[in-house]
Amino acid sequence: MTFACKAAEVAVGKPRIVTIGRIRVGIFQLEDGYAALLNICPHRAGQLCEGPVSGTTRQTDKAEFVYERAGELIRCAWHGWEFDIRSGKCLVDEKLRARTFPVHVDGDDIYLEMRR
Amino acid sequence: MFIVDTDVHNYWSSAEVLLPYLEPYWRDFLVRGEKPGPRGSFPHGHRPWLHPEGFSRHDIRPETEDDNYLIMKEKHLDLYDIDVAILTADEPLEASTLANYHYANALVKAYNDYMIDWWLPKDSRFKGSIIISPTDPHGAAAEIRRLGGHKDIVQVLASHGSQRPYGDPFYHPIYEACAEVGLPFAIHFGGQGGVNHNAIASGPTTYYWETHALLAQPAMTHVVSMISNGVFEKYPDLYFVVIECGVSWVPSLMWRLDANFKALRKETPWLKMLPSEYCRRNIRFSTQPLEQPQNVRHLWETLEHMDGQNTLLFASDYPHWDFDAPTNLHIPPAWRDKVMGLNALEVYKRIEAPAAAARVA
Repeated sequence: MTFACKAAEVAVGKPRIVTIGRIRVGIFQLEDGYAALLNICPHRAGQLCEGPVSGTTRQTDKAEFVYERAGELIRCAWHGWEFDIRSGKCLVDEKLRARTFPVHVDGDDIYLEMRR
Repeated sequence: MFIVDTDVHNYWSSAEVLLPYLEPYWRDFLVRGEKPGPRGSFPHGHRPWLHPEGFSRHDIRPETEDDNYLIMKEKHLDLYDIDVAILTADEPLEASTLANYHYANALVKAYNDYMIDWWLPKDSRFKGSIIISPTDPHGAAAEIRRLGGHKDIVQVLASHGSQRPYGDPFYHPIYEACAEVGLPFAIHFGGQGGVNHNAIASGPTTYYWETHALLAQPAMTHVVSMISNGVFEKYPDLYFVVIECGVSWVPSLMWRLDANFKALRKETPWLKMLPSEYCRRNIRFSTQPLEQPQNVRHLWETLEHMDGQNTLLFASDYPHWDFDAPTNLHIPPAWRDKVMGLNALEVYKRIEAPAAAARVA
């Protein structure tokens, strides 16, 4: 378990990016807990966690724009590809998955499991 | 080998062949109205550039109306043992350049009747295209419904010069009618004057060869528009055939589209597949004019990226200056049966398959 940051440094919709050893990780606060993603997009190695936390548009059968999953996705800062913050799964390419780290909260501190 | 030529131009000695098929009011327009050429020319908003040698091969010189067919039979259909020739007209495509869409509708309607009366009965190898003027999509849809049930009509055809990209909902009545009668919608190079003034993105070109090299440009716009506007979600069985617009640009455009869609798909939530998947499923491209790199392998490698073996349709563009002979088409040998004819059976369902199968066997 590796200390990442204080819980107070992470807010819903505003991930905290920390450097642990030689890698950078984005810590996200969701409505129901925390998640962590490597700050490297598996698409083109962009700054994944520096993009906007967002929702997405539901697939529809006509010109209808239904916004859903607000706050559950991160759009990579470089090219805008969408990733599920919890699972790291890319929404537009099932072969891609951002690296995730299990998060543990101990009091005011957030810890990551760096090796799995 | 079973050969379907998807671009055979049937033309006339004079547009006055349309006179018997026009209502009196429009007949007067054609006889006495102003036209871009001499008596007997077809009315259209003309191109800003002209072919310096004329569009036709120099060995094709019909003197009479009948010569058009007899020369085509001798120098093309019989010579190359063409099994099916899809007629794509000639000047009637230019009706789309006219601002007066009532007149444009009357002209294409007259042409379609003339083609059905004069051309189709001449040779069992002929299949027809319903020419439409897309400036009036509801009028075009009515024409598609009027003739769409004819057994020898195999597609609906418009010029690739247009007022708007063809995926625009403005045009959807056309696709609704195509879907209803079970015909593909095709576009063919041309119609880049008059009301279609912006068919080349940055304004009109100067020289014909320059323009011809850019013939892919409007086609690219239409392909992207058809996909992005969800035409193939609305009409999943509709084939969109792109004739005489080049082909080697398709893979790079699809690469770009797929990448952009992955980032910005929220703009078009009605799409359920990648752009390239719609392209593969619903769009077919005619071979002529196939690009001619120094090393033909560069072309073949490019065509592989668009699954050319399954998405290309042979076209000769007879009798135009850049004609491709069926015996001299530069495609991988293993693709020949499919590209020369079998792929067309998937798109043009009214072409009889049993005869095709027998020929191949």
